[in-house]
Amino acid sequence: MMLFETTDLTYSYDRVTALDRLNLSIAEGSRVALVGANGSGKSTLLRILDGLNFGQSGTVRFRGEPMTEAHFASDEFAFSFRRQVGLVFQNPDVQLFNPTVFDEVAFGPLQLGWSKSEVRDRVGETLDRFGIAHLKDRVPHRLSGGEKKRVALASVLVTDPAVLLLDEPTAALDPRSQSQVIDLLVEWGGGAKSVITATHNLADLEDIADRCLVLDGGLVVAEAAPAEILRNRELLERSNLIHAHRHHHRSGELHSHPHVHPSE
Amino acid sequence: MRLHFLERTIDGLHAGLALALDAENSAAAGGLLQQLDARVKVAGLFSLILAAALATRLWVIAAVFALAVALAALSRVSFRVLATRVWIGALAFTGAIALPAVFLTPGVALYRLPALHWPITAQGLTTAGFLLLRVETAATLALLLVFTTPWMHVLKALRVLRVPVLLVAILGMASRYILLLLETAHEMFESRKSRTVGPLAGAARRHVAVASSGVLLSRSLQLSGDVYLAMQARGFRGDVYLLDDFAMTRFDWLALAAFLALAAAAVWADR
Amino acid sequence: MHIPDGYLSPATCATLFGGAVPFWYVALRRVRKALHTRLVPLVSLFAAFSFVIMMFNLPLPGGTTGHAVGIGLAAVVLGPWAAMLAVSTAIVIQALFFGDGGITAIGANCFNMAIAGALVAYAVYRLLAAGAAIGSARRVVAAGLAGYAAINVSALLAAIEFGIQPLLYRNAAGAPLYCPYSLSVAIPAMMLGHLTVAGFAELTISAGVVGFLQRSDPSLLQSTAGRAAALGETAARALRPLWAGLGALLILTPLGILATGSAWGEWMARDFSDPAARHEIAASSFHRAAPLRAPEGLARWSQIWTAPFAHYAPPYIRSATFGYLLSGMFGAGLIVLACLVVARLFGANRTWRTHSCMPRPHSCRRPASAGPAGVEKSLDTARTSACATSKEPAT
Repeated sequence: MMLFETTDLTYSYDRVTALDRLNLSIAEGSRVALVGANGSGKSTLLRILDGLNFGQSGTVRFRGEPMTEAHFASDEFAFSFRRQVGLVFQNPDVQLFNPTVFDEVAFGPLQLGWSKSEVRDRVGETLDRFGIAHLKDRVPHRLSGGEKKRVALASVLVTDPAVLLLDEPTAALDPRSQSQVIDLLVEWGGGAKSVITATHNLADLEDIADRCLVLDGGLVVAEAAPAEILRNRELLERSNLIHAHRHHHRSGELHSHPHVHPSE
Repeated sequence: MRLHFLERTIDGLHAGLALALDAENSAAAGGLLQQLDARVKVAGLFSLILAAALATRLWVIAAVFALAVALAALSRVSFRVLATRVWIGALAFTGAIALPAVFLTPGVALYRLPALHWPITAQGLTTAGFLLLRVETAATLALLLVFTTPWMHVLKALRVLRVPVLLVAILGMASRYILLLLETAHEMFESRKSRTVGPLAGAARRHVAVASSGVLLSRSLQLSGDVYLAMQARGFRGDVYLLDDFAMTRFDWLALAAFLALAAAAVWADR
Repeated sequence: MHIPDGYLSPATCATLFGGAVPFWYVALRRVRKALHTRLVPLVSLFAAFSFVIMMFNLPLPGGTTGHAVGIGLAAVVLGPWAAMLAVSTAIVIQALFFGDGGITAIGANCFNMAIAGALVAYAVYRLLAAGAAIGSARRVVAAGLAGYAAINVSALLAAIEFGIQPLLYRNAAGAPLYCPYSLSVAIPAMMLGHLTVAGFAELTISAGVVGFLQRSDPSLLQSTAGRAAALGETAARALRPLWAGLGALLILTPLGILATGSAWGEWMARDFSDPAARHEIAASSFHRAAPLRAPEGLARWSQIWTAPFAHYAPPYIRSATFGYLLSGMFGAGLIVLACLVVARLFGANRTWRTHSCMPRPHSCRRPASAGPAGVEKSLDTARTSACATSKEPAT
């Protein structure tokens, strides 16, 4: 049985079609990257996979069960889904809505009905594991970009979800924080967990994914192993993931080569 | 020349951010009040504020004020901070309001202003004293709470005063985003300032302030929609739970008893 | 406008806090019902917004600057109930964290600004903007006047609260314990500042931002635009706790006087019956200073009030203080009553109950979907879609 399966999924807003009869299936235990330029619909897709938005037509199934608004209206389905699936938002100001780091990490477990002592232990443990115990009483507003991202990951991973959805996990981070975040993810995803990452950062692709889906204009335009995708210059250029820079050399020749923007 | 209006607003916003930072640093410093359980501080300092509010004798309020100053000294909250954050501002504001009362309150005339013949009455001086002392005392105690306690602990401790958990959560989330919006507004005004040469005309200044408010409002409501999704993603279904790691030590109980005894003594002395 | 600690007696503060509680209760219940789980983030974010704009330095015509509270804006965008909660939240944070406004006066400040202010602003806006198109200039004017009226009603309430302090609370020597100014001083002093500077600050921000939203995000103005509908049975039932609260306020206030009234009575008796004390007062106030006039006013008020009770009422009812207090209370009561009448006239009540808190679901962004589930859903879509493509703010 597939972990996620969409059939003819369409989602639009403001007369803009974000997803256009999208079909995809993601297997249990796989590490998948959704690659696409800004506006390719990958954030929207992640929110739909997390049961936060719902398509206007088509179906989405999670382990064979349809994900509709009616299903999420039942507490039983919603809680069981939220226990298994975690989503880390791109914008840390959206992800970190609690007044302190401690409350942030405790939010998920408390909502899922863990006992208070269990929450206390687990939060302490997670803060230590992510190396953010010293930030416990800090307000998220005054954390550095890298610290914010670590808190965001901790706040979702504290409940140990089997499925992790990540929206641009390394966006707006300095190179060192980027590699720290990737290390954390690689370490965490060592088991049989499923990780779906939306990104336009091609540099990390091989570290975070075994399989790559290229999204363009609300459709999956290619699907292959990361190495293969990275070799396909023509595809990457067409999907706006890389673009050619032209410049003059001293000798006078006009030279052009593809150019990747690691993070924006 | 009058200070540029953008600069004044920027200064105001900056002061708000600076206060939050000062409070955070001071709450992390070691001192008497910092060691106490937040609930003890909320209950204790509030009872002192109440005692000062109930007092009908000046010396009783003055005694509570002296106690507040002593607590500040023991908690490493410097007089410079108290003076700049509380005393001077309250003195200027309430002082201006209390001044006419010195002449307007009927009572025994102690002195008459030359030429104007306005009487300074004993009752007038007393009433001005009441107002000023009470304002300074309450403001000092309130600042002590915030400067010796992490803000979220203050909010969670409000539960001992029976504040509903939903409101505590709203207060917490609002304070978290106040800092973000303050900074956003700060950036908007700064960038506006960098693009402005010379003073703006009145209407243009109004336009800047109003447009900034409008942008900020749209952004706040957008953010609220996004935050709502992020909350749902982690299992939020409308019920709010709070976790605190408060634990009362023997010292906390002792301090609570001391606070309540002092407040009770103030009320008793006032009979 | 924010009343600090020390200006109002604890009894006054407690009474106003007691008066605010039922409004908060009704507001929480209604907003929760209309918004479900959306309540926490929406009220929190709007509170944060209203806190921040209170810090804006608003240039006014004539070269002065002022600060707005944003009550008018809150009522226009959120409706009165959610606005009450959001502005109250901002007031509480200001008092606790920034020391702006007193801690004991939280109830009073919330009652004056968040509660009375939001109700007045909403009533004025609905009255003046009734039937106007979302983009019409009339809505801008209505929002401006709503803000202007709201802040002035708040100021008037605060002035009344100030003004009754010296009547009720004095020490043995006759020195006022809290705010020293009687109604005849407090009301003109407060209103002068608010009818001019603060009122125009509020007017500017409400009108200006509504005008801004008409161009940039008109869907935010939909929810309070309203269409006529009858006052339903359920609405009346939902309002019951509110009436109970107002009743409690009306009962509690005289109780507060009973507790303190004797002290005041003594003071009155001593100062006005004892010839020596009277001589003192006369001697000290013989000049053009205002105090002499206050007792005259007192007497006049006292006559007006005591007339219907002249023969059989207990003595404290005949006292001028009681008259002042009741008139203050009736003032607040009348405002609320006026709001409800206006709401009923314009059929706003249904809107208050269900749609008051968020941009109307079926706005321009998506075709309407019927039913409560659809409301929630399409709201989500509208909000998220608006931000899905927006750039992350620089941090």
